[in-house]
Amino acid sequence: MTAPKRWLPFTVKTVLLVLLLLWTLVPIVWMVLSSFKPNSVITANTPRIFFTPTLEHYASLFSGGNSLWPYLMNSLSIAGVSTLIAVVLGCMAGFGLSRIRLKGKKHLAFWIISTRMAPIAAVIVPMYLLFRYLYLLDTYAGLIVAYLSFNLPFAIWLMTAFFDDLPPDLEEAAMIDGATKFQAFRYVVLPLMTPGLVTTAILCFIFAWNDYAFAQTFSGPSTQTIPIAAAQLLTQTGIDWGKLLAIGTVVVCPMAIAGLLVKRWMVQGLTLGAVK
Amino acid sequence: MATLQLDNIIKDFGSTRVLKGIDLEVKDREFVVFVGPSGCGKSTLLRTIAGLESASSGDIKINGQRVNEIGPAERGLAMVFQSYALYPHMSVEDNMGFSLRLAKVPRAERREKIRAAARILQLEELLDRKPRALSGGQRQRVAIGRAIVRNPSIFLFDEPLSNLDAALRVQMRIELTRLHHELNATMIYVTHDQVEAMTMADKIVVLQGGSVEQIGSPMELYHHPRNRFVAGFIGSPKMNFLDVEVHGVGPTGVDLALPGGACRIPVVGDDINVGDTLTLGIRPEHLKLDDHGSLEGDIVLTERLGGVTSLYLDHLGKEWILVADGNIVHRVHERVRFSFDPSCAHLFKSNGQSLDRLQRHPLAGVECEGSRVNAI
Repeated sequence: MTAPKRWLPFTVKTVLLVLLLLWTLVPIVWMVLSSFKPNSVITANTPRIFFTPTLEHYASLFSGGNSLWPYLMNSLSIAGVSTLIAVVLGCMAGFGLSRIRLKGKKHLAFWIISTRMAPIAAVIVPMYLLFRYLYLLDTYAGLIVAYLSFNLPFAIWLMTAFFDDLPPDLEEAAMIDGATKFQAFRYVVLPLMTPGLVTTAILCFIFAWNDYAFAQTFSGPSTQTIPIAAAQLLTQTGIDWGKLLAIGTVVVCPMAIAGLLVKRWMVQGLTLGAVK
Repeated sequence: MATLQLDNIIKDFGSTRVLKGIDLEVKDREFVVFVGPSGCGKSTLLRTIAGLESASSGDIKINGQRVNEIGPAERGLAMVFQSYALYPHMSVEDNMGFSLRLAKVPRAERREKIRAAARILQLEELLDRKPRALSGGQRQRVAIGRAIVRNPSIFLFDEPLSNLDAALRVQMRIELTRLHHELNATMIYVTHDQVEAMTMADKIVVLQGGSVEQIGSPMELYHHPRNRFVAGFIGSPKMNFLDVEVHGVGPTGVDLALPGGACRIPVVGDDINVGDTLTLGIRPEHLKLDDHGSLEGDIVLTERLGGVTSLYLDHLGKEWILVADGNIVHRVHERVRFSFDPSCAHLFKSNGQSLDRLQRHPLAGVECEGSRVNAI
């Protein structure tokens, strides 16, 4: 008798999930598919699902005078370095913030994350002026600092939460076992923090990788990133849809794969069994 | 060979004083239990000994050497945590051998020591498993194994059995006691369970509000509690208390006026005057049903444990507990008479201090060790 009752919410859930999946996936699938379509098919009035795939857009992206390679390398370097710094500093600060006994610790943590809440539009002009005085415009360092200013508070906040989940007993047990504070961190805390570190790194990387506003304002001819390259295809004379969709695919795919990887890392999975 | 001495240990957390001047001496191979209610500072004291907390003032000496400024790693202690604190990413073998790995002990020697400890704790089959694949009792064993492998001067246990179910707790209690004998080690054990304290300790340290209330053998604490708190804390069910008036004081004891008549309690009443109000304390197991008894009460509740039955009695508006034979037939709402042997009763002054008994109980000086060797 109870079977239909259980069955109904399950169906509703499934339908909602399918709708949500369509909502999120259709544009991406369409973009990826279209990046393999010849120009004539992309803009065909009746959208076509079956077509002869071509790599012409990718080929033209990575060859010729305005190749995507420098942009890609810029994006990788800037996002990579800013992520690395954010994760290393965020990990250390998060550990400290999680373990320290301090009055008003919560307020301090909130203040740190609140700096992440400032809208980019509000800080971009003052930052531009600062960067100009400091000769940071059109430099890797400038963009790395810009991304760090947003990613570091986020990394600290996220890592603090991960460390809060890790019982301090483990480090203490390691210290009783003869470890120094650093050894306890290195051999016990850090391996257990891998999921937290990976999650933080991916999220920081995504922010820097996807950013357009900072890159548009602070970069110059030698430091432009992929989103800038994509924007350059929207010209007054027309839009090169094929290349644009190919760039979109190049931007989205690594992040989508990374996102799928993050899913696997669940901190509870590893810490289970550490303490009852 | 390991002794521990604490001299006036004070620990402040901000403006809160958690330990208020603790003095203690732990002899070599002694099994000392810190016991007290939640928040009494027993775990903080243990962590201070371990070096996980620093003492605000006072001296901690291990084998006569002051170790206040020495980190936990160099104190040569091992600690078993309440949560076990096993490293989840390491196998049982790696967990047990972590201290040896840090000490750069060669692999072969490390293995040998781990196997030896695993043999003692019957963990040999589990060495390759991760902690998450172990049961609560097995995890507990690994945590103890990790401590044994370290060959510490003193073992510290922080409520190690509180996460186990009742049956396993009893089993582990016996195993720990046996381990104490096998390893011939000095052990300090924190618990809030007075049964654990009574059954395992050579010496019990009763703590309350960051101060030591009494230090002594289990029998000493049971028969000669220094104050009302210790009397109420040690023993289960709790001691019964009744405010009484002094009628007379003599060399053979203090005379009291009880609701059912007078009685003389054999205690030293040097600074007691006639008319003073004292608190009479009688353990539930020292009350007995007696048709001619001077006290009477209505049975409010019975708890039948099989061998014994606890009767909750309403005596002049106060609840008394009486532990009687398991086969008694009395039921709730019945009125019963009961009495007690005055030589088993305790008297406490209004400040809580107990009056010394005229005679020391013959078992008061006996440490657990004597009875334990025969028992196991």
